[in-house]
Amino acid sequence: MIQVKDITKSFGSKENSFQVLKGISLDIKDNDYIVLLGASGSGKSTLLNIISGLEKADSGSIMYDGTDIDKLSETELTKFRKDNVGFIFQQYYLLPNLDVEKNVKMGADLAGNKNYCEMIKAVGLGEKLHKYPHELSGGEQQRVSVARALAKKPKILFLDEPTGALDEATGRQVLDYISKLQEQYHFAVVMVTHNNNIAEMAKTVIKMNSGKIVETYTNEAPKTAYEIGW
Amino acid sequence: MIIGIKDGMKLVGISIMACCAVFVCTLFMNYNMDLVSIEEQMTSPQMMIMYDALVSMGKVVSGVSGGCLLITSGIMLVFYIKNYIDTHKKELGILKALGYSNFKIAKNFWVFAISVLIGTGLGFGGAWLIMSKFYEEQNADKMLPEFEAAFHLELVIGLMLIPTIAFGVLAILYACVQLKQPTIDLLKEKRQYGKSRIKGNGKKSQRTKRAVGADREEKDVPFLKEMQKATIRSRKSLLFFVVFGAFCFSSMMQMSAGMNEIASEMMAMMIFIIGAVLACVTLVLAVTTVVKGNTKSVSMMRVFGYTFEDCKKAVLDGYRPWAYLGFVIGSGYQYGLIKMVVEIVFKDIENVPDYEFDVQIFMIVLIVFVILYEAMMFWYSNRMKKISVKEVMME
Repeated sequence: MIQVKDITKSFGSKENSFQVLKGISLDIKDNDYIVLLGASGSGKSTLLNIISGLEKADSGSIMYDGTDIDKLSETELTKFRKDNVGFIFQQYYLLPNLDVEKNVKMGADLAGNKNYCEMIKAVGLGEKLHKYPHELSGGEQQRVSVARALAKKPKILFLDEPTGALDEATGRQVLDYISKLQEQYHFAVVMVTHNNNIAEMAKTVIKMNSGKIVETYTNEAPKTAYEIGW
Repeated sequence: MIIGIKDGMKLVGISIMACCAVFVCTLFMNYNMDLVSIEEQMTSPQMMIMYDALVSMGKVVSGVSGGCLLITSGIMLVFYIKNYIDTHKKELGILKALGYSNFKIAKNFWVFAISVLIGTGLGFGGAWLIMSKFYEEQNADKMLPEFEAAFHLELVIGLMLIPTIAFGVLAILYACVQLKQPTIDLLKEKRQYGKSRIKGNGKKSQRTKRAVGADREEKDVPFLKEMQKATIRSRKSLLFFVVFGAFCFSSMMQMSAGMNEIASEMMAMMIFIIGAVLACVTLVLAVTTVVKGNTKSVSMMRVFGYTFEDCKKAVLDGYRPWAYLGFVIGSGYQYGLIKMVVEIVFKDIENVPDYEFDVQIFMIVLIVFVILYEAMMFWYSNRMKKISVKEVMME
C-alpha cells in the first residue's frame, strides 16, 4: 500500500539546521496496524505528517499505490488526502461551532457517505447527535473525531497520540472503538504514541529514536485495549 | 495589567467611525449655531426661507449621520470588547483566579475610549481645517449675510468629551457583564458557540413530527452549507458590519452622485469619501475577524481534503447575500432620505428639482460594489491559502 524510502527531514535555517528524520524506510500494507513508538523528539510525529501528505520530506519517496505523494502538487495532495486518509489528533480539533452530527458530516460528505450517523452510533454517541463540542467530555470529543475520520471511509487512518489527553478508562475505550472499527471496515492504522503499553495492540511496532528506526518487531498476538497495561 | 494604553489605541475602526461622525456634526452644528446667532439679520422672506432650509438641513444631516455613526461606533466597541475578552480568556481567568474582582478587571477597559477620543479629536480638527471653505459653499449664492465661523466650546464638550466618557463607561459596564462567566470557563478558554437542542442528561425530549422532519431535512444539507450557516450564526455582530458596510457604500456613493442639484460639490465629495472609508473599514474589520476566527476550522478542512475553494465557500460565501441585501437597503435609504430632504427642507425654495431614483447611478454603483466586494473576497481567500496546517497543529 505505502512504501516509504530513505526519508530525511530537517528544520531550521542552513546554519542552525536540525535533522529530525535520518533516512527512514518502512512499508505499510492494507489492513495493517502499525505503531510508531518513541520518546518526545524522536521524529515520529514528523514522520506521520510526511507519510500522510501534510508535510514534504527533504529527500526520499513515499509511494502510495505506485504514486510518489511527495512529488504531488498541493491540489493533488488535497485530493489524495480526500480519497485515502483519515486523521485523529491528540487535541481532537473538532469544529467548535458545529454539533456532533455536523462535525461527522464534515468527513462523511467527502466520501458521499449518507449513513454517517451509523458511525456516530458505533462510537456510542447516538444520543448526543446535537451536542456541541464544549458540551462533551474529552473522551466523547475524541470519539467524535474517530467517527469523523472514519465517516470518510479512509483506506488508512493516521493517529497522533490519540489518547494523550485522556484518562486511562477513556483512553482504553477510544482505542477499543478504533480496533473494533478497523476489524469491521478493514482500513490500515498508523498510530504515533510514546506509550509502550499501547504498542502491544499493534501488529507491527516501529521504535524510533533521534530520527532513526531503531527496532521493528511484530506482535504475534496483539492485545485488546482492555488487556494492555497503562 | 494585561490591558494597556496601546490596546485602546488599536481600535482603528472606532476611531475612523468617530472621526467621520464628529467631522460631519462639527461642520453642520457649528454652522447652524453661527447661523442662528444672526437670525435677526434675515430681513427678506427669501432670506428667511433659505435660513430655515439650511438650519433644517444641518439638523437632519447631523442627526442622521451623527446618530447612525454613534450607534455603529457603540456596536463596534461592544464587538471589540467581546473579541478582546474572547481572545484573552486565559489571562483574564488567571487574574480572576488570583482574586481580582470583575469590576477591578473591567475598569481597565476604559482605555478603549481612547480610540473615541482620538477619532473625535481628528474629526473635530479636520472639520475646522475646512470650516471657512464650508461656510463659503453653504452661502455660495450670497443669499445670506456673510459671517465668520466662531469656536463653540459646547461642541468640544458635546462631540468629544461626552462621547469619550460615555464610551469609557460603556466599555467598563460591558466588560463587567462579559467577565461574569465562571473563572474555570475563562481558564479553559471555553466559548459558547451554541446549545444542543435536546436538553437534560441524554434524555430524549418529546419531539414533534415537525421537528423530526426538520432534522431529516437538515441531514440532507451538505456540510459546506452547514458550515456557512454556523459561521454566520457564531458571530452575528459581524453580519451587522457586513450589511452596514454595504449599506454605507451603496447609500453614500449614490447620494454623492445623485444630489448634485441640491448640494455643493464639496458636500458630495465629503459624502463620497466618508462612504468609501466607512464601507472599507467595516467590511475589512468583519472579514478579517471571520478569517482569523476560522483559522483552525480551515486547517482541519484542508487536512481532511477540502479544497481552498471549499474553505472559501464555507467561511466567506455565506456573507455575500447579506452584503447585497445591505446594498439594496442602502439604495432605498438614500432615495428616501434625499426625497424627504427635498420635500420637507427645500419645499419653499424655488428651482429645486423633484428628486427621482436614478437607475443609471444605481447600476454604476452596483457594478463598482460587486467588483470591490469580490476583489476583497478574492484577496482574503488568498490569505486563507497561507494558513499553515502545521502551525495550527503545533499550538
